[in-house]
Amino acid sequence: MSGTAIQVEKLVKNYGKVEALRGIDLDVEEGEMFALLGPNGAGKTTLFSILATLRKPTSGSARVLGHDVVTQRPTVRGLMSIVFQEPALEQKLSVRANLETMGAFYGLTAGVRRTRTDAVLEELGLADIADRRGDKLSGGQKRRVELARALVSDPRMLFLDEATLGLDVDGRRSFWSRVREISRSGRTVFFTTHYMEEAEGADRIALIHEGRIIALDTPRNLKNRVGGGVILLRTDDDERAASWLSDQGFSPESSERGLLLVYREPAELLPTLLRDAPVRIRRAEVHEPSLEDVFLTLTGKGLESGPGETPAPAAAGAAP
Amino acid sequence: MNGVAAIVVLDLKRLWVDRIRLVSSLIQPLLYLFVLGSGLGASSVMGRAGYLKFIFPGVVGLSLLFSGVFAAILIVFDRQMGFFKAVLVAPLPRWSIAIGKVISGALQALAPALVLLLFMPLLGLVPGWLELLELILAMAAAAVTFSALGVAVAARFHSTTVFPIISNAILLPMFFLSGALFPLEAAPYWLQVAAHVDPVAYAIDLMRGALLGRTYFPLWLGLPVLTGFIALLTWLSTRVFASGEDA
Repeated sequence: MSGTAIQVEKLVKNYGKVEALRGIDLDVEEGEMFALLGPNGAGKTTLFSILATLRKPTSGSARVLGHDVVTQRPTVRGLMSIVFQEPALEQKLSVRANLETMGAFYGLTAGVRRTRTDAVLEELGLADIADRRGDKLSGGQKRRVELARALVSDPRMLFLDEATLGLDVDGRRSFWSRVREISRSGRTVFFTTHYMEEAEGADRIALIHEGRIIALDTPRNLKNRVGGGVILLRTDDDERAASWLSDQGFSPESSERGLLLVYREPAELLPTLLRDAPVRIRRAEVHEPSLEDVFLTLTGKGLESGPGETPAPAAAGAAP
Repeated sequence: MNGVAAIVVLDLKRLWVDRIRLVSSLIQPLLYLFVLGSGLGASSVMGRAGYLKFIFPGVVGLSLLFSGVFAAILIVFDRQMGFFKAVLVAPLPRWSIAIGKVISGALQALAPALVLLLFMPLLGLVPGWLELLELILAMAAAAVTFSALGVAVAARFHSTTVFPIISNAILLPMFFLSGALFPLEAAPYWLQVAAHVDPVAYAIDLMRGALLGRTYFPLWLGLPVLTGFIALLTWLSTRVFASGEDA
């Protein structure tokens, strides 16, 4: 199992004059857990919709498991399952009926539907709520049921679009541990997110910004690309500090958290900064670069710049 | 064909959960039949009893029209909830989604209309078995037509707020122009012309033909016209479903 699961070439999508995707190239290996990470409005959902056969590209091509997502839609649809960001359960039907309905949509016979439904409910630990109606489930349960429903057809590919939107930390953790199990069973998982801690769990990440892939690598390599570490400074006058730093030959980025400075040996630089800066430094941290920092150094913008809820950035170890 | 069945079965399951809606969909046509029928009948040349018999197919048509078109509102709800996306990414042929939705809407419309038939003896209408069979077939053709109209409209709209507007701007004129409440033969010329492009007129004419043995349109014309409407509307819906979110 080492074919290409997703192959995207020069993909462009315009909505009228708005360029949502400006030439995407992307390859996802079979069996990989792959994250598409970017702020809201970067083009994640558009790319996702094209791969999901719900939209046509303006130009360029995309193939899923070797089949074109425009000309071979029925084949593509049969090979994959999707969990969308909107809750898509039929509220009035039981969990079991929801799963069996999906089985019918994928052409499973009544017997196979029932066996697969039972197996998947068991596998995801949902057997005890199998007869509960959709509208009687908690948010986290709903998402897990949708995950289960996506597995009824035994798909080779699983697509997840911002699938944990609106879940609390516990709900998200439990959801992703299930997804990782699914990934270990050999299926390809392709997901979009704007939570960087979710992307951390992927084998590889594509960072998307303003309709382009600006970086594509493993989480480790992406962080190494920033090089060294990140110094985060809070000062009395960030603007003055930034212009002073620029004069010293650094390229600081200002963010909501303060001034960010990427440097090969941050621990060596920090004492100099504290001594010579023309403004009072109230707080200084040195930490390993996070995906957020990678994104920030590549784009000058934070991942959370879009609307919507913003989880607290992952706590990083402060320098003594 | 399995796809059509999957869509229909799902909708019928949901309808069963909501069966109180079936009861409420009976109230409006019964009101028309007994209140309007009695009121208008008193001043009609047919007399009260004759008029009630005359408008009975029209009232059945009214029930079929509104339940048939409004059944499709479920598609708009599904779209708003996100459930419809799950349908669209399933490996179902797009025509099977359209046909499945049309059939499920037609069944939802037929159920209360069939209950209306139980009131026929009260009006002095006692059709023979053959007439009854013809009537039910005509009702089925009408139900499919109106459901196809509803699906074609619902496929295009993403908000349920357009439905009351459509009902006032399209359905009521279609109903009033159809000759459901008055004989078209006696209607002004412009109205008769309008009735010729109104599928509701053909549908009610077919039912009236089955029940009372009199038709306005030539007997052979009704079914081909309704079939044409059904094919056109279903094709339009299929096209919209095929374009997914680009629609």
